[in-house]
Amino acid sequence: MLVFAASDKGGTGRSVTSANLAYQRALLGDHVAYVDFDFGSPTAAAVFDVPGAIRGIQENGLHSYLEGETNEPAKIDVWRQTEHPVLRNRPNQAGRLVLFPGNISGGEFATDDDTLERCVDLLLRLNTEFDLIVVDLSAGRSYAMDMVLAATAHPRMRHVPFRWLVFHRWTRQHVIAAAGLVHKDHGILDCGAGHGHDREALRGHIRFVRAAVPDPESPLWSQVTPAQAAWMQACDEALRRLASDNRIGDSVVLGIVPLEPILQWREQLITEEDVLSKQIANKETLEALEEIARRLTDDACWGRP
Amino acid sequence: MSPRESRDHDQGAGAVLLCGEVRTCLLPAHQALDVRAAAQLLRLRADERVLVSERPNLYARSPDALTGVDCPLPSASGAKVRAVGTVAARGALTEGRVLQTSARLSLTARGPDHRQPWGHYLVRPGLLEPFGRLPREAVAEGVLAGARRGELDVGLIADGLLTRLLRHPLLDQRPPFKSRPTRLRWTALTAGPGTDRPVIERLTLAEDELRTLALRVPSGADPAEVAALCEDLALHDWLLTTLVRLLDGSRLGSADGTAVVRALRPAVDHLLHLWMPRARLDPAFAALWDALEERPGFTRQWEALVRRIRDQLALHAIPALHQEAVMAP
Repeated sequence: MLVFAASDKGGTGRSVTSANLAYQRALLGDHVAYVDFDFGSPTAAAVFDVPGAIRGIQENGLHSYLEGETNEPAKIDVWRQTEHPVLRNRPNQAGRLVLFPGNISGGEFATDDDTLERCVDLLLRLNTEFDLIVVDLSAGRSYAMDMVLAATAHPRMRHVPFRWLVFHRWTRQHVIAAAGLVHKDHGILDCGAGHGHDREALRGHIRFVRAAVPDPESPLWSQVTPAQAAWMQACDEALRRLASDNRIGDSVVLGIVPLEPILQWREQLITEEDVLSKQIANKETLEALEEIARRLTDDACWGRP
Repeated sequence: MSPRESRDHDQGAGAVLLCGEVRTCLLPAHQALDVRAAAQLLRLRADERVLVSERPNLYARSPDALTGVDCPLPSASGAKVRAVGTVAARGALTEGRVLQTSARLSLTARGPDHRQPWGHYLVRPGLLEPFGRLPREAVAEGVLAGARRGELDVGLIADGLLTRLLRHPLLDQRPPFKSRPTRLRWTALTAGPGTDRPVIERLTLAEDELRTLALRVPSGADPAEVAALCEDLALHDWLLTTLVRLLDGSRLGSADGTAVVRALRPAVDHLLHLWMPRARLDPAFAALWDALEERPGFTRQWEALVRRIRDQLALHAIPALHQEAVMAP
């Protein structure tokens, strides 16, 4: 299955959350590919802690592949090449976790028919090999987004299942922007319909992930004054109404990642060790990630019986 | 039709180094292709027929497609050697299920210092001529180590053909299970007079997906036959690798019997009947399998895996029978 990770704005935790989802699925035994189509600012290397491996990839990243300069995009076996001390011990029964990085210095680029065919080739080849393919897209209405919408509407891809995750933070601006990315002009639905997707079917393949959401009940906020607490509750209420009015209410939310201090400081994978022995990450964060990872393939969460 | 029909076309004579690369993968189609569909998939050229054979197993092979090249050769010593000529590539499908593409070339010991008209190279398909003398050991090492950017990469030619075949509208892109493709990169130095048998000098698993094979073959050996040996090896290595991975991912011994059966079923449906080493090899090359059967023991391992799968399936059938017996009045 293909999972496209999109967001309207930067700083929504899209890359770090989708990388964590990939990691969680690999722990469950799935073979997972993480494809970095965030052409503006590839960050996957930092999240998976493979900076050393990335340095060698100047010429054969995904940009070079899509532009036809190389036939085989570079790939990095995360378990083997990571510099993260915990990740290096690949857990027993874990599946493969392979990163396909972008070029170090490659920006956005326009796509033509040739690029599209190559994109389809790549996604199909990954689909023969991996159980789950997470594709991290650039923020906003990008060429990458347009390209994968065209690719998934391509006749050769008709049997490959795909799902979209739209990440947003829990603020007024982010809620409005995320809804706009899907529903407004030149959004995912518009653009997808333009490429031949059925609008309603495509909408059924989209779910939202709220990231960095402060939970008023959390011990993190136990020191706030009653006035602050009441204000937070009211805000939360108002945001829920706003989300619902913008058609991104609870029924289309796949999961909520709580505000996690360590993710505010550093994009990284949250391991069990961070929660249990080092105690630097919150249990709730890990549980939320595990749950979203599980729901990715739970048809009941995608409006299917 | 015999698999040796291409002998007349290939230029074994005069070559001192043969090399190539084979890509092997599961055909991304829900149903295995029948003879007719296999021939359709592999019809690369309208003017040449696809070789089809049904004994001892279903096998189809495309005619050769030629790619003209003029570029430096990879070399372990760093020597810059330019070569010009054509690389021959072909695709093959075994039992309508396993797809392979294979590219190969032969190099002469020396060649003219300037480029000939293309007609000169086109009548020598699969042959490359170096500018000047060929440092063949260094080039053989360089090929196995992998070409750098700008150097002749025979693997890219195999991959290009694979991409072309995978785009064929006959394929519904619904592979019945997840599997990984493999690559086998090979070189064969020709031995001097007095050597009449080919030998395997080195077979290594370089990375997860890459195998390298160094051969020594009698001079005058047919490159198409050497490539056929490598394709046969690559096919069976892929089968072994894929079966091992299926077993790895099946969590044997876990309580969930249906999960084990679900994980192992593709092996029964699609793989177990494919094992047939040296089915169509030239006898001289088929003998090379004897060494591999001795060590690492390909067929021994295959049979052990097959027994294990059958035992598991038998084991998981028992509770089902037991339950039926209990439920019956």
